[in-house]
Amino acid sequence: MVNAIFIIATGLGTAFLLGLLKDEWRTAAYGITLAALALMSWIAASWVAALAWGGAATVDIFTAGTEPPFAINLRMGLPEAVLTLLVNLASLLAAVYLRDTMFKQGRRAMAVLLIFAMALCGIILTRDLFNLFVFFELTVISTGGLILLSRDKRALGAGFKYLIASQVISILLLVGIIFSYHATGTLNIDGMASMSAQLLQGGSLAFFLMFIAIVAELKPFPANGWALDIYESAHPAFSAMLSAAAGSAALFAVDKLLLIGGTQWLPVATAIGIVSFIGANLFALAQNVDRRTLGYSSIAQIGLVLTVLGQRDILGDSYLYIAGGILLAHAISKAGLYWLSGLVEGRELTAWTALRGRPLLIFAFVTFLALLIGLPPFPGFYAKWDLIHTLAAQDRIMLLTLILFGALIEAGYLFRWFGYVIKREQTTERVACTPHKVAVVYGAVIAGWTAAYLWGNLSPHGNLLHTLPLLFALGFLLLEWLPVWIKNTIAIIGLVAWFILGFPDYDPLQLIFAAVILIGGALILLSSYHVQGRRIGFYPSAMLMYAGLAMLITADDSFSFFAAWESLTVGSYFLILRGKHSEPHALSYIIFSLGGAFLILAGFALASQGVMDFQLQALGQVTEPLSAWVFMLLAIGFMTKTAAIGVHIWLPGAHAEAETDVSPMVSGILLKAGLFGLFMLLMNMGKQQLYGIELTHVMLWIGALSALLGNLMAIFQEDAKRLLAYSSIGQMGYALFGLAMMNHLGWLMALMFVINHYIYKSMLFLSVGGIAKRTGTREMYRMGGLITLMPLSFIAVLIGIIAVSGVPPLSGFGGRWIFYNAIMTADHRLPMIIIFLAGPIAFLYLFRLIHTIFLGQLKDEHRRLKEAPFWLILPQMIYVACLLIFAVVPGMALRHVDSYLNQFFPNHGLNWEGLTITSSFGYWSPISIMLVIGTIFATVLAWLLFVNRKAQKVKQFNMVFAAERPYRPETTHYAWNFFAPYRKALGFLTQPLVTRFWEALTDLLHSLAELLRRFYCGNGQTYAIHLLGFVVVVYLLKVGL
Amino acid sequence: MEFEWIKIPYSLLTLFIVINFGLLLTALIQKIGARVGRRHGIPIYQNYIDLIKNYAIRSSITHGFMFYLGPVFRLSGGVGLLLFVPTIYGSEMFSNLSFAGDLILALYFVFFGALGMALGAGESGHPHAAIGVSRGLSQMTAAELPFALAVFSVALQYQTLSVTDIVAAQQGGVLNWTLFTNPFAVTAAMFSFLGSMMRPPFDVVLAPQEIPIGPPTEYHSSYLALMQTNRVIFPVAKIVIYMNLFFGGAASWPVFFLKVFLIYMVSVFVGVAFPRFRVEQSIRWFLIWAMPLGILAIVLV
Amino acid sequence: MSYIAMTTGFILILIGFYGALTNRNILRMIIAFTVANTGVNLVLVAVGYMRGRTAPILDAAVPVTEAAARIIDPIPQALVLTAIVIGVGVTALMLAFVYKLYATRGSLDISNYTELKW
Repeated sequence: MVNAIFIIATGLGTAFLLGLLKDEWRTAAYGITLAALALMSWIAASWVAALAWGGAATVDIFTAGTEPPFAINLRMGLPEAVLTLLVNLASLLAAVYLRDTMFKQGRRAMAVLLIFAMALCGIILTRDLFNLFVFFELTVISTGGLILLSRDKRALGAGFKYLIASQVISILLLVGIIFSYHATGTLNIDGMASMSAQLLQGGSLAFFLMFIAIVAELKPFPANGWALDIYESAHPAFSAMLSAAAGSAALFAVDKLLLIGGTQWLPVATAIGIVSFIGANLFALAQNVDRRTLGYSSIAQIGLVLTVLGQRDILGDSYLYIAGGILLAHAISKAGLYWLSGLVEGRELTAWTALRGRPLLIFAFVTFLALLIGLPPFPGFYAKWDLIHTLAAQDRIMLLTLILFGALIEAGYLFRWFGYVIKREQTTERVACTPHKVAVVYGAVIAGWTAAYLWGNLSPHGNLLHTLPLLFALGFLLLEWLPVWIKNTIAIIGLVAWFILGFPDYDPLQLIFAAVILIGGALILLSSYHVQGRRIGFYPSAMLMYAGLAMLITADDSFSFFAAWESLTVGSYFLILRGKHSEPHALSYIIFSLGGAFLILAGFALASQGVMDFQLQALGQVTEPLSAWVFMLLAIGFMTKTAAIGVHIWLPGAHAEAETDVSPMVSGILLKAGLFGLFMLLMNMGKQQLYGIELTHVMLWIGALSALLGNLMAIFQEDAKRLLAYSSIGQMGYALFGLAMMNHLGWLMALMFVINHYIYKSMLFLSVGGIAKRTGTREMYRMGGLITLMPLSFIAVLIGIIAVSGVPPLSGFGGRWIFYNAIMTADHRLPMIIIFLAGPIAFLYLFRLIHTIFLGQLKDEHRRLKEAPFWLILPQMIYVACLLIFAVVPGMALRHVDSYLNQFFPNHGLNWEGLTITSSFGYWSPISIMLVIGTIFATVLAWLLFVNRKAQKVKQFNMVFAAERPYRPETTHYAWNFFAPYRKALGFLTQPLVTRFWEALTDLLHSLAELLRRFYCGNGQTYAIHLLGFVVVVYLLKVGL
Repeated sequence: MEFEWIKIPYSLLTLFIVINFGLLLTALIQKIGARVGRRHGIPIYQNYIDLIKNYAIRSSITHGFMFYLGPVFRLSGGVGLLLFVPTIYGSEMFSNLSFAGDLILALYFVFFGALGMALGAGESGHPHAAIGVSRGLSQMTAAELPFALAVFSVALQYQTLSVTDIVAAQQGGVLNWTLFTNPFAVTAAMFSFLGSMMRPPFDVVLAPQEIPIGPPTEYHSSYLALMQTNRVIFPVAKIVIYMNLFFGGAASWPVFFLKVFLIYMVSVFVGVAFPRFRVEQSIRWFLIWAMPLGILAIVLV
Repeated sequence: MSYIAMTTGFILILIGFYGALTNRNILRMIIAFTVANTGVNLVLVAVGYMRGRTAPILDAAVPVTEAAARIIDPIPQALVLTAIVIGVGVTALMLAFVYKLYATRGSLDISNYTELKW
């Protein structure tokens, strides 16, 4: 094993060597620089390998042949090895990235870069305080030099501000060091740590000065104006190093100091960290400059790691895993993003649309964002999971809430940015595609995925990258070059095969969901054959969603459940974002979903009480009063996915603006994830009371209100897909209501809704999508009279609306019948009133849907329309068949579930003997109903055909119209504002109060950020005052505490 | 209850009786209404003449597939509704096809005809038809609410959803009728009844002045005849449900005729005395006056 | 004696901070920082000082065997040397920045360099 000191020696030596070279030998100098950095990286890497896998032990390196405290010693352990590897690799990649700049600036710049890397390694390796100071000062000086690499003239001012701040910091640090030395008689960190009691007693101010100086190196909010300016104006390659490498090194220095400070100083670190995390994320909301946004995000992430450092007293063995996971994710993603920013010409966030022509760069961008946000399968995800669980187990609820809140804000602005990139009008500027820069970016991507794999392997919960569905989804990334029909076929085969594989192990409940998700998903995918070309991005997203869903229903423990939940959320977000105008809607979807997911995470964390391998069944053993809170968190989390009223505002836009074949996926299938979650929750936890209020009773009201308001809002929509989307809110309200009834038939009804809603909503979305495709509009009043042109679509919609409305003989009636039987034994009667009111309202929007599109007057511009494409019609016809079959033999699917539900509610099951289904209260014979109605209908029709056999088809305007003849379809088609009287009577109920509430909340956050960020006035002197003020305030608070 | 082939002729017999009864009843009601307005009114056999005439008219046009099916849906809805509910209590012969489903089936099958009719009217392309449908559906959502609440209340009261069982529970004297055992539910349901009988003040759907007769505007000849047939069956079928749920049912045809007539008269009494509501007014009326009674009914039961 | 040195040191630090925070002229700020740095160095030395002892130079006057008892603490002295060197480096770098700043913008007023903010 090469001695770790050679990392420093190589850096330093090469830097001196470069000084000896002739200035003209740039290629040689550059080659030497790269070689040196490669060597340093290799040494670090070999240490990582030896320490992590080779069984090597931590090594202390003594300089000057003497042991500390008489000489400086360095230490190489696993964290040091990983961090030095990170620093050196980042520097190496930065050197590659900076090739052109380096050639222009010559060997001095290369030497400075080497010094920078070397100094950071020094900070990481050294165990001596004064040595730490020296390396910090070296970092400062080399930073000062590297800032000048930027082409941005403003960098000069930023660099000077930085130097001012570092002067203040170095003065504080020196004073702190000397008095700590005075108190303990040693400069060795470990020596001082062993005497920490003595130091903290007499020289707590000295320690404080040291500590705060190093913390100030982390650029904590709000004493960090200078750092932001550097992030914004420096060369992106340097910003990348500053954020990834320097940030990590400084964090490790804080970690060392905390060894001295002990538990007493952990809360200070936590407080500074969490304030940074939330403050910086908040301010980032108001940013529209890319590098400054990234700067804020860096500060936030480093703040988060600092918070984790502050938790080392409770984290135990997983301390390094958690802190390392978050830090590594931050470092890789931030470096990657800064490097990417170097490829983009404009500095606006929207200028990144230039990436759009380059799928691989988009993939890189997605990877970095996912890393940063901590989505599965990246290290941040595992780390956050463990962190939140530990916090919950130790009752640090406040901190847990703040972390999740900050993370949500961060996800908000990052996803907003992603939305800009995918959806905003593309800038004319092209991406500067110099191969070596792009290669560096890809290097970061590879590092990200490697880290994901490693962290998965280290995780006690199992590696997500070993799960087959996820791999299948990710595999589509490699198939992107294939045409749609091949990928589509593979996808369909995959879904069906996974269903067949899992079939023997599903219990009846899982089987219903699996059939809806996998077989249903394959059916919807049939419609995707109508798309030509390659459809880049569609299949990985869709399959990620399906993978998440498939894993969700078979998840046994909370971790795999949550990982599946996040996967399906992210997959569906990408899917929804594909719609033409869906940028804001996809954003609100992902924010609500992540908010919900965080609630679920918090719920699981609270429930597990530190048990890392928490089985879902164990939810039932959570004791009062905790259980009620767990229940509430989980329930709200799941309800964001079913779009219960209050958290529904994402749904209409997201479902309406999605692509034709995506709408049925996200409506027909995705919504069921929430229902499955609720099933799981209620099955395991049952009824819960919070302050004497029964939570299922509250859910009953929420379900009823969702049903009413969803239906009510649906009738006032002019946009057909929005109408269907609002109707989904109503339908999910019914299902929620059924679940919350907490009786046998209520649950059966909810399951019936799962199946029914899937079939008819998928079918309707496909029909309407096909029609919108042909007519070029989704506004229903612009259509009309399409029945003769699109008869098959009409039949699908007709059958669909009969089923939705619950009119016999189709399957919707079964749902209603079970509903009535269920409410007979329900505990609470008042919410029924709302459900009763909601029921008939469905007729209004359903009639409107079919009337204004298919009936009435055909518009002139539509006279030559054709039926929707074959591949859209085919699944619709299959659905029609399914609806008819399910209407006649509902028992096929339901009787097994019914008997399965007996274990939860033994009473009031249904009797499926013979043709008639009987309950304790009534009976229902689907086959008889179908036959009777069919016979009557056929007889009457035959009679009419007989008496009216010579009926003559007349022209469109041939009708009795008071003394005049209509000649414009537009003026004759009664369609716009169809239910005007209804609006007069009940329109007040559809006031967008909820939307206003959420808008006000986001506006508040944005205005707050906009207002408060003026605090960063740009003046270096003021920043120095901030810094000193920060020091004083922290001290006062610490003393005050 | 099982299916037997003999039920089919029995059901047809019921249908025959009800059609004739309905033809006479509606004519009689119209005559009563006319007399209140100091007019002479139609002869009692007028409906037969209209029906025969309309079936016989040879000129007929169609606006398309759905236009054709509209009346079929309508009449099937009426006939089905009648046959899904036992007409005469205690009579195997006139229990019709009620083996197929219980009260809920009848409740939801009411919409079958309305929906089909609305679709057929829609295809005619006549704006009046669409306006009429829009008004009718709007009003229906509010009008059905008290009835649904009353039905729920009654079902809770008797702990069954079977119409036969509900009637059985009301036997043994007038005081056992739901009318007396659960007056709030009955009142709420009767308010709702007013809304569904297409008589003032809730007949804006057909409003002869503004939207000449609403949804059926374009229908004529045999289409109209089918709808007229339905128009005599449907109210009776609907009243049968009310009678069974709230007024003790009928154990024999004479009682049946009397009760149906009297219940029908409720809407006539109100109708001749009050002017017409606009849609939003009637919606508010149902929500303000009828719904609270329904709520009381399900809370108190 | 050491108290005087230390007090002076702290006073210099405060003066330095005061100067750096109140003078808008960049050059004056730099000078203020050097004053503060001097103060820090003074404090460093003062901390290592022990009354009645000699300089930590091992020669004929101070044999190795008695060194521990007769010399003052050598470490702060060593630290000061390093700190001075580093201070010089940083000051030089700052001056280089000032030079370039002045060359590009022609101003020495720190409040003129606020184009990066918020």
